[in-house]
Amino acid sequence: MTATASIPSHRIAIDVGGTFVDYVLLDEASGSITIEKQLSTPERIVDEVMTGIGRLPVALSQTSIFHGTTVALNTIVQERGVAVGLLTTAGFRDILEIGRGSRPEIYNPLFREPPALIDRFLRREIAGRMDAQGREVTPLDLDQLDREADALVAAGVEALAICFLHSYTNNTHEAVAAERIRRRHPGIALAVSHELVREWREFERTSTTVLNAYVQPPFKRYIDALVARLEGAGYANPLAVMQSNGGVSAARRAADRPITTLESGPAGGVIGASVLAAELGLKNVICSDVGGTTVDLALIEDGAIVERNQTKIAGRPVLGPTIDILSAGVGGGSIAWIDNRGSLRVGPRSAGSSPGPACFGLGGSEPTVTDCHLVLGSLDPDRFLGARIRLDVDAARGAVDRLAGRLGLGRDELAAGILQIAESNMIGAIRSITVKRGLDPRDFTLVSYGGGGGFFAAAVAEELGVRSIIVPTASATFSAWGIVSSDYREDSARTMVRTLDDATAREIVAVARRLSADNVERLSEHNIDAGRIRSFVRCDVRFAGQEYTVTVGVDDDWLQSPDRLLAGLSERFVDMHRRLYGHGEQGMPVELVTVRVRSIGHVARPAFPRARDGAAPEPSAWRETYFRAEGERVRTPVYDRDALSRLFAVEGPAIVEEWTTTTLVPPGWSAGTDRIGNLVLTAKAEGEE
Amino acid sequence: MAQIDVVTAEVLRNAVVVAAEEMSSTLVRTAHNPLLYDVQDFGLGIISPEGECWADAPGMTAFVGVLSHTVLSGIAVHGLENMRDGDLFIANDPYTTGNHISDVSIYMPIFHEGRLVAFAAVTAHWADIGGKTPGGWCPDSVDVYQEGICFSHEKLIDGGRPVGALWSIIRNNTRCPDVVLGDLNAQIAACRQGALRLTALCAKYGLDQLHAAMRLAIQRAEDDARGQISALPDGVYTVSQRMDEDGVARGDPFDVVLTLTIAGDGIHASFEGTSEVRAGPVNCPEHAARSLVRAAIKGVLSPTEPANEGDFKALSFDIAPNLVVSPQRPAPVDSYGYMCIAVWELTMRALAMVVPDKAVAGGGQLCMPTLSRVDPRLGTPFVLADPLDVGNGARPNVDAPTMAIPTMGDVPNMPVEVIEMRYPVRVERFGLRPESIGHGRFLGGAGVRRDYRLLERGIMVYTAFENVGDPLGRGRDGGLDGAPPVVVVNPDTDREVVMKSRAGIGPFEPGEVISMRSGGGGGWGAPADRDPAQVARDVRNGLLSEADARSIYGVVAEPA
Repeated sequence: MTATASIPSHRIAIDVGGTFVDYVLLDEASGSITIEKQLSTPERIVDEVMTGIGRLPVALSQTSIFHGTTVALNTIVQERGVAVGLLTTAGFRDILEIGRGSRPEIYNPLFREPPALIDRFLRREIAGRMDAQGREVTPLDLDQLDREADALVAAGVEALAICFLHSYTNNTHEAVAAERIRRRHPGIALAVSHELVREWREFERTSTTVLNAYVQPPFKRYIDALVARLEGAGYANPLAVMQSNGGVSAARRAADRPITTLESGPAGGVIGASVLAAELGLKNVICSDVGGTTVDLALIEDGAIVERNQTKIAGRPVLGPTIDILSAGVGGGSIAWIDNRGSLRVGPRSAGSSPGPACFGLGGSEPTVTDCHLVLGSLDPDRFLGARIRLDVDAARGAVDRLAGRLGLGRDELAAGILQIAESNMIGAIRSITVKRGLDPRDFTLVSYGGGGGFFAAAVAEELGVRSIIVPTASATFSAWGIVSSDYREDSARTMVRTLDDATAREIVAVARRLSADNVERLSEHNIDAGRIRSFVRCDVRFAGQEYTVTVGVDDDWLQSPDRLLAGLSERFVDMHRRLYGHGEQGMPVELVTVRVRSIGHVARPAFPRARDGAAPEPSAWRETYFRAEGERVRTPVYDRDALSRLFAVEGPAIVEEWTTTTLVPPGWSAGTDRIGNLVLTAKAEGEE
Repeated sequence: MAQIDVVTAEVLRNAVVVAAEEMSSTLVRTAHNPLLYDVQDFGLGIISPEGECWADAPGMTAFVGVLSHTVLSGIAVHGLENMRDGDLFIANDPYTTGNHISDVSIYMPIFHEGRLVAFAAVTAHWADIGGKTPGGWCPDSVDVYQEGICFSHEKLIDGGRPVGALWSIIRNNTRCPDVVLGDLNAQIAACRQGALRLTALCAKYGLDQLHAAMRLAIQRAEDDARGQISALPDGVYTVSQRMDEDGVARGDPFDVVLTLTIAGDGIHASFEGTSEVRAGPVNCPEHAARSLVRAAIKGVLSPTEPANEGDFKALSFDIAPNLVVSPQRPAPVDSYGYMCIAVWELTMRALAMVVPDKAVAGGGQLCMPTLSRVDPRLGTPFVLADPLDVGNGARPNVDAPTMAIPTMGDVPNMPVEVIEMRYPVRVERFGLRPESIGHGRFLGGAGVRRDYRLLERGIMVYTAFENVGDPLGRGRDGGLDGAPPVVVVNPDTDREVVMKSRAGIGPFEPGEVISMRSGGGGGWGAPADRDPAQVARDVRNGLLSEADARSIYGVVAEPA
């Protein structure tokens, strides 16, 4: 690193999405932020990123950059990765192809998981075997390893993946093989399962390793190109990349493990919501990010973001801690259509940004959700995105009218109906993520963001019985705000299946200490003072004989005494199990499956603004807007968001507008701000007038 | 009849599907038995007062198809007018529910302001039902009385009050009553969740709107199915399958014959020519047989839509009593699973003649080794039941995968690392079985080979194969058949034994190897029509030998 590197005075979050690149610039001293947006074009993404940066009022040399990227995700979804060769345990080269073999579409005889990413002849078997306890059964055949690796390289693969059976418990064979191949084929990208995940289930681990290898070269090329351009523009600090686990990590490290960046974008919004929740003392939050194609949903339960350790990308499993995000196929660009049974459907097909909704005037002719908002008077055609795009109302009306004619409905009636169906899809998705965990949505606050977050919030909340909604400041760029608020974060895990007893408790303490030390070493790459790092231990446990586990948090002081650890872990597990599944007795035998350690290097957070007390707001305009509760258009006051006050609530029906977001306040709801300037919608109590 | 607008109709149709999914989440979340929360051996749905299915949730297709009939037979017993808010019924009588006796159905009438809304119904495999075989699945029962205790639509809860005598009978006649009662409570919780959602919909939209929406959804599904069937050429399609044996009369084969008649906008299914009821437990209750025919037809007409009764209204049946697909009390039925798969395959085989672009060739039969040790003097007792993936039938335009049997629902296989952690075996090999592939222009899926080395003494292995003589994995349109399943004990040694029928073998010595090999799927189209470049790739990938490439495909190719 050059001598110009210094403690940066500013932090920039860059969040690349499908339609826009969003920027949030944070002044670390004052906590104030600046927002910027740039259209994104996939082929020229590095150029676009730099163009937008150029508009930020700061010298790059004074900044550190946190980056949310979809490069790894898109490479997998579009199947544009490199040719990969797999080295695996003798007898098991077909694991990748057979997978887990289940059929979620139960009636569909043609259903199948996506075909293996690697042809069978590029999956090579190496003699060498560990057993489930990690004991060597057969030594690794090094000659065979060399031969097969050479053959794969000769066959033209650009990357190699290594995944051996039981390497989650004993990684010796994998480590030896990896070292040998790195020396023998230094130019080939290499992904090694135990370096990515130390968890059992061989198919999922192999899939994760292979996907990582598949995206490593293109991801690295992208990061290298971006860093070169940034440095050319005076940037001097390490670039950090947002990960699926909700923290940032050094780009250098991310380039070796791009698989950890798949949920990079949506994770930012959830982190943002959790920062707000912590500040406002909200324990239970539904996070809803309404974009162009999907709504991405996540939960904060009892103050903690709900995570999972496995997810599927384009049908392919990925292991590793990730925020549990459910995407439902409905957003602003979702198209309304009539299916072959005559039912009116909305989504999952989306007009995206090209051609975009009919009102974009770029050739879209089918009615989308955004067109309906425009037709109904919810959206101001002249103020969309701060008037950078002027919306074509006639095109939107034409698109709605064509469908209305086929159904024999009026224009407003159909447009309102399309929105109601879009809402019902979101409602179904929120019901499913809460009920699945035995939770009641009425106990939650809805935090709604993304470009469409303000349109649907009240209607969705009303149906779910949610009585309080937060639409954050600058909600369309809220994911970027979340990224700029993210901490450095490293996760390690170790599967070690055994009965939970005294010896196991002692082992947990030792393993947790080791994993924690590994994490701290990685975090030190960011020049983070060890004193600012905190580690958290969690254990996946279950009743003996069960398949699935519950992840239980371990209190710091339990680690001082194996007795307390044993007692605390068992007791908390049984409590959680009873809450989640309705049964479970203290004293039943419990098994440990995985020990997890998360280490966090805290960053300075953006300061929260203080909301204006202000006077009662005056409307900036009036618009004829359709509200379903009214069944017709009503003359509706439009307020500038900046004019709202925490002291004077605005009664619905009303519209609140800001640069990138419009929020509907239907009858029965009121709008104001909280003490830090977020827009808050509140349902009137039953019977209240 | 209440009128309903297109928007409310769609909102309510969605909401009822979500309600069924919520029932499913509740069941999985609260069940005690891994068969429910891991293997999803259950089916559930919401059934109208007329006994029509409104919505189901992913589970076993066979279960979902019989729910409406189960509720209808309960209505026949009690009369709708005698069903009250707070009642809950229980049934597992195979001859009225269409399941084997381990699969117990619970259903609950849902009321809103005193009017019947619908029924919430859940069928689930109980951990034990008190028959001669712990856990059920008797391989050799000769009547239903050996298979377990039987419920015939009794009230388990009467107007909100549990019927104590019945609960006591369950507690005292099952081997693991805590698990069984825990699962029963999970089934009830699932029904209550369904009731909660439906009454909330009634409160918001009104019962009449809900009924109108669901009538419309069913009507539209029926119209869709009838429209598609009308477009098919009329014709009579007869297919048959020879089954190996019934488990009691050993080595005595029998036949299942299915005739689908497509006429106008309907499909008629007849089992004329099918063998009479058998002495052993392979008999398939009539409503299960109907359910599998329905599932296969839905699979080609509307494979990805959630099911409702409208999907099945264009189908009619003609099944004479006392066939192997229409047993009467007390004929044994406990291993009806093989027949279920065969009936689905037969239906698909007939459909493949009519709608080849939406059907598949034949796939492999169930292949589930059970490794166990029961004598604690020989070591810790365990049971490892390990249903293997099979070769699916080739698709008309693409090679088939290796995966679960199409009727088995959303059930994943068991990872080797999990098996080795839990059981005293080492899996030395788990991979494709290229020699089982049904060749053709498009390939049937390969079966799998899983070799278990037994690490401790006293282990027994039970296997049950069917359709070894007449493989299910039939090729289509010139495609070749997939190979049937087989087990090889101590392969490639001088102690090698090859077995192809039902067997309980062992106990084995430590170090012996059991090699289970599941069946392959049939190919589609003549091998000569396969793209030679693909054939070369198959050879390179070790799925085909050079010799077979030459003799079957007429292609000269070199291995990698």
